[in-house]
Amino acid sequence: MTVRVGLLLRLVLGVAFAAFAGAGAGAQTPGQDEMNIVDQPGYQPTPDEEQLSGAYEKQEVFFRTTEAPGTIIIDTKGRFLYLVQGNNRALRYGIGVGREGFTWSGLQKIARKQEWPDWRPPPEMIERQPYLPRFMAGGPGNPLGARAMYLGATVYRIHGTNQPQTIGHAVSSGCFRLVNDDVIDLYDRVPVGTKVIIRQAVAL
Amino acid sequence: MITRRGGALALAVLLSAFVAGCGENPAPTPAIVAASVSPDQLVGKWGFAAYHKDEDRARTIKEAAAQCNRPYVIAKGPTGGVMMNLADQKELSELVLKGGPTGQTYLGPAGAAGGPDDRIVTNVDANSFTTVWVDPDNASRYGTSVYVRCGKR
Repeated sequence: MTVRVGLLLRLVLGVAFAAFAGAGAGAQTPGQDEMNIVDQPGYQPTPDEEQLSGAYEKQEVFFRTTEAPGTIIIDTKGRFLYLVQGNNRALRYGIGVGREGFTWSGLQKIARKQEWPDWRPPPEMIERQPYLPRFMAGGPGNPLGARAMYLGATVYRIHGTNQPQTIGHAVSSGCFRLVNDDVIDLYDRVPVGTKVIIRQAVAL
Repeated sequence: MITRRGGALALAVLLSAFVAGCGENPAPTPAIVAASVSPDQLVGKWGFAAYHKDEDRARTIKEAAAQCNRPYVIAKGPTGGVMMNLADQKELSELVLKGGPTGQTYLGPAGAAGGPDDRIVTNVDANSFTTVWVDPDNASRYGTSVYVRCGKR
């Protein structure tokens, strides 16, 4: 079984690197570079795997906006989440965007925050992976990762992931995913009520 | 006519061959132990949930019961087993219940109990059962699975 999983992981990583090599960080289009990866409940990435580099590593960047400090702006096309700092600066996090995230742009507030959220795979995922439990209690290895921030009364949320290789990509499930260290960092910086703007592209 | 020396030589060759071959004898076939759980106890529609930490067991059982709107269906197999998924396998396989040497019940492909594709079945009653994969990687990823019958018996 370990061999099967190892093979699956190598295949997935192969697809990931191919997609990364073929697309610039800010030029992706949904559907064109979608990473063909299934959820891996229980998989616990190593610290090395969770360490992002380059554009997707958390960093402070120049960011011109009229939004107030503390506002979250999500750029689904560029695969970035910005936390406005003021003085034309923002903290920028690399994200993976799920299919649900692409179909949507708008304005919301963080309605609820949850540490180690439980995971309920959606029906289409159960159809693809019928061996999955219909509920998995939160914890390391959970596909929703270490933290979740729920957006208004919608099904959308900003959450962690146990698949750090999906950052920078469109993926088949979920909304807006960050590596666990980043989602913990963001979670600690933003309160319930934080304004969240989701845009297909962000002009700096 | 075989001389006394020739007979001794033949005996020595025979003995050495026997001694040399000891390590290559096939392992004794493990005794098949009847499982204390019958396939009929697993057949049905189940709410299916999983947890990794023991403190999550009680609420996971409640969550499993709440998942009957999308149940995991276990049917009887053509040769008397049950049709279920192996880890990460989309297609169903016929699995059999096997008794282990220490009284545990295993569920997996036909063969010796405790194989890597087996899971250990515990806490079986009319309306629920619990499984844990034997394979450490599967056990680590999927944790402990609980099945709660949809529509109590």
